[in-house]
Amino acid sequence: MVRLIIEKELRDIFTSSKFLVTFGICSVLIILSFLIGARNHQVATAQYEASKRANDLQYEGVTDWTRVQEYKIFLPPQPLATLVNGVANDIGRTIEVRGRGELRSQDSRYGDDPIFALFRFLDLEFIFSIVLTLFAILFGYDLINGEKERGTLRLTFSNAIPRTGYIIAKFIGAFLALAVPLLVPILAGILILPAFGITLAGDDWLKLALIIGAGIITVGAFLALALFVSASTERSSTSFLVLLSLWIVMVMIVPRLSVVAADQIVTVPSVDEINSQKSRFMSQIWNEDRGRMNSYTPPKSQNVQEVMAGFNKFMQELADAREKKFNELSARLNEERTNRQAEQQMLAMLVSGVSPSALFTLAAGEINGTSLRMERAFLEQAKEYQRQYAAFMKEKTGMNTGGFSFVVRMVTDDDAAPPKPINIRELPQFAFTPLSAASGLGAYTGYTGVLAVYLLLFFAGAYRSFQRYDVR
Amino acid sequence: MEQQPLLEANGLTKRYEDGALAVNNVSFSVRPGEIYAMLGGNGAGKTTTINLFLNFLEPTSGEARIAGIASHADPLAAKKHVAFVSENVMLYTNFTAVQNLAYFVRLGGRTGYTTEDYRRVLLRVGLQEEAHHKKLKGFSKGMRQKCGIAIAILKDAPAILLDEPTSGLDPKSGYEFMQLLGSLRDEGKAILMSTHDIFRAKESADTIGIMRQGNLVMQQSRAALSGEDLERLYMEHMAGVTE
Ligand SMILES: Nc1ncnc2c1ncn2[C@@H]1O[C@H](COP(=O)(O)OP(=O)(O)O)[C@@H](O)[C@H]1O
Ligand SMILES: [Mg+2]
Repeated sequence: MVRLIIEKELRDIFTSSKFLVTFGICSVLIILSFLIGARNHQVATAQYEASKRANDLQYEGVTDWTRVQEYKIFLPPQPLATLVNGVANDIGRTIEVRGRGELRSQDSRYGDDPIFALFRFLDLEFIFSIVLTLFAILFGYDLINGEKERGTLRLTFSNAIPRTGYIIAKFIGAFLALAVPLLVPILAGILILPAFGITLAGDDWLKLALIIGAGIITVGAFLALALFVSASTERSSTSFLVLLSLWIVMVMIVPRLSVVAADQIVTVPSVDEINSQKSRFMSQIWNEDRGRMNSYTPPKSQNVQEVMAGFNKFMQELADAREKKFNELSARLNEERTNRQAEQQMLAMLVSGVSPSALFTLAAGEINGTSLRMERAFLEQAKEYQRQYAAFMKEKTGMNTGGFSFVVRMVTDDDAAPPKPINIRELPQFAFTPLSAASGLGAYTGYTGVLAVYLLLFFAGAYRSFQRYDVR
Repeated sequence: MEQQPLLEANGLTKRYEDGALAVNNVSFSVRPGEIYAMLGGNGAGKTTTINLFLNFLEPTSGEARIAGIASHADPLAAKKHVAFVSENVMLYTNFTAVQNLAYFVRLGGRTGYTTEDYRRVLLRVGLQEEAHHKKLKGFSKGMRQKCGIAIAILKDAPAILLDEPTSGLDPKSGYEFMQLLGSLRDEGKAILMSTHDIFRAKESADTIGIMRQGNLVMQQSRAALSGEDLERLYMEHMAGVTE
C-alpha cells in the first residue's frame, strides 16, 4: 500500500508543471555552480602558480642568503572549496614569513577580485541551503491539505488505508520526487569536473558525499516541516503563507540574527585594538633597549669583522629577549581574543541552530574544511613553516633573520670567482595540508545529528496532526 | 432464511462541536440485494450519516456497522467491505481515467485487474471509449461520477455507499445511473444511497427512509408504497426541502 501511494505520488509530481519548473531551475543552478566553481578553481590555481613563481623570481641573481628578508607562502586553492566556498574566499591566501615575528594572512580572493564576491552565492552550499529548502516547501506545502482541496482525500480514506502508512508514503514520495531534480544535475556536475582538470582525491569524495548527505537531510527536514504544516491546516494557501514566513525566518533571518546577537552579547577585542596594544608594548621595550644600546661598549679589536660580529651578537641577544617578551604578550592577547571569539562563535552557532539551513552551512563547512578552522589551520601550518624557515636561514647566514641586525659585506679584491647566486628553491617548501574529512567529522556529525532530530520532530508533528486530520 | 444486514445504523447520533444535532438516534439496515434510499432535503443529515459509516466522523452515540463491524471501533476492517461514491467525485486531474481507476482500485485492495477489465467496466458505466485514456482535467461532472462508480464496482465490496450520486446529472445520465445501481443490486450488493430526488428513489429503491432535521421520520418498503403514499411523502419531503 505504501509503495502504491509512493508510486502515485511520484507520477503525480512528475507530471506536474511544478516539477518541470523545479527540475529546470535546479539543473541550471547546480550545473552553473559546478561550472563557475570549476572555472574559479582553474583561475585560482593559475594565480597560485603565478604568485609562487613571482615570489621566487624576486630572488633571482641574489647571491647572499642574508638578503632574503622574507619569503611568501601561499594557500593553494582546493577543488572542493569551489563547491562549498565557506570562508575560503574571505581569508588571506598569502603569508609573509620572516625568521621571527607574528604571521598574518593577507590578499583574500574577494579582496583581490571583488567580481568573484558577486558569484559567491552560486555554490553547492547556497543551492542546498537556500534554493532546495525553498523547493522542499514548494513540494510539501499542499501534500495533505492539497489532497483535501482536490477532493481525493475522501475517496482515499473511504478505503482501508492506515493513516500512518499514508503519511509515511506521502513523505517518501515527495522526498524521492525532490531527490531527482537534485541528484541528477549534481551527478552531471561531478562528471564535468574532470573536463576542467579538477580531480578529486579520496578524501574529497568522502567530503562531497557527506556534504550531499547533510544537504539531503536538510531538504528532508524542510519537507517534513512542510508536511507538518500541511497536515495542520485546511487550506493550501494558508499553509503556503505559514511556510514561506517560517522559511524566511529560518533561512534568511536567523543565521544573520545569530551573528548580530552574538556580536552584541560577547564583545571581542578588534584586531586594531590588539595591534595598538602590541605596538605600545613594542615601543616601550624598544625604549628600554635603546638605553642598553647606548651603553654598549664594542670589544677592543682592530678587526672590523670581529667588532661587527660582537655588535651583531649583542643586538641579536637584545632582539631575542625583546621577541620573547613580545611573544608572551602577543600570545596572551591572541589567546584572549581567540577565547572570546570561540565564545562568540559558540553563541552564534547555538542561535543559528534554530535554523536547519544554518546547521547545514555549519556541517558542510566543517566537513569540507572551509569553516572558520581553515584560517587557523593556515596560520598554524605557516607557524610550523616559520620554524623550518628560521632554522634554514640560521644555517645559511648564522643569524636569526627577521630581527634587526647589520650585515657587513666585505669586498675583497681576491681574484676569486664571482659570488654564486643562491638557489631560492633550496628553502624548505611550504605545502598546505587541507583539513581532512576526519578532522571535521565530529562537528559535522553533531550538526547533522541535530538536523536529523529536526527532521524527526517535524515528521512526528506531521504524524500527530494527521492522526486527527479531518479527511472529509 | 433472512440474510444478515451489511449496513446497519443502531441509534446513530451525531452532535457537532458547535452543538448542531445532525443525526438523531437513527436506526436502519440494508441487506444484500437491497437498495436503501435515504431521502431528505438539504441539511437533513444524510451526508453526516454516510460519513459516520466511513468513520470520517465519530458518532456521539450509537453505531454504524459494516458487515457487522462497528466503523468507529475498527475502521480499517469495516472499510474493507464498503465502496463509496461521493456527491461530487473528485479524482486526480493529471491522470487519465484508467490511471485513476488503477490507483484507487488497488488502494481498495484489489489487484490483478487488466487494462481490458478497466475498459469493460468503463464501458459498462457508460464512459465512451475515447475518454478512457484522457486526463480527467476536462471531464464533466457526469463523466467523473461514472469513473467513481466504476471504481466502486471494481473494488467489488459487498456494500456500496452513495451520497447524492445523481445530483447535477442530466436526466438521461441520471436514469442510466439508476439502471446501473439496479444491476449492482441484482448482483447482491447492499446499497445505501442518499438523495433528495423522490422520483429516483421511487424508481429503484427497495426501501425508502425519509430524514428530516436529523431524524428518520419514516421508513417504508417500495412494495408497501401506494400512489397516495408517494404524494404524501412528496409533500412532506418538499416541505423539508424548502424550509
Ligand atoms: N462540520 C460541521 N460542523 C457543524 N455542523 C455541520 C457540519 N456539517 C454539517 N453540519 C450540519 O449538520 C446538519 C446535517 O448536514 P448534512 O449531513 O450535510 O445534511 P445533508 O447531507 O442531508 O444535506 C446540517 O444542519 C448542517 O448544517
Ligand atoms: Mg449532503
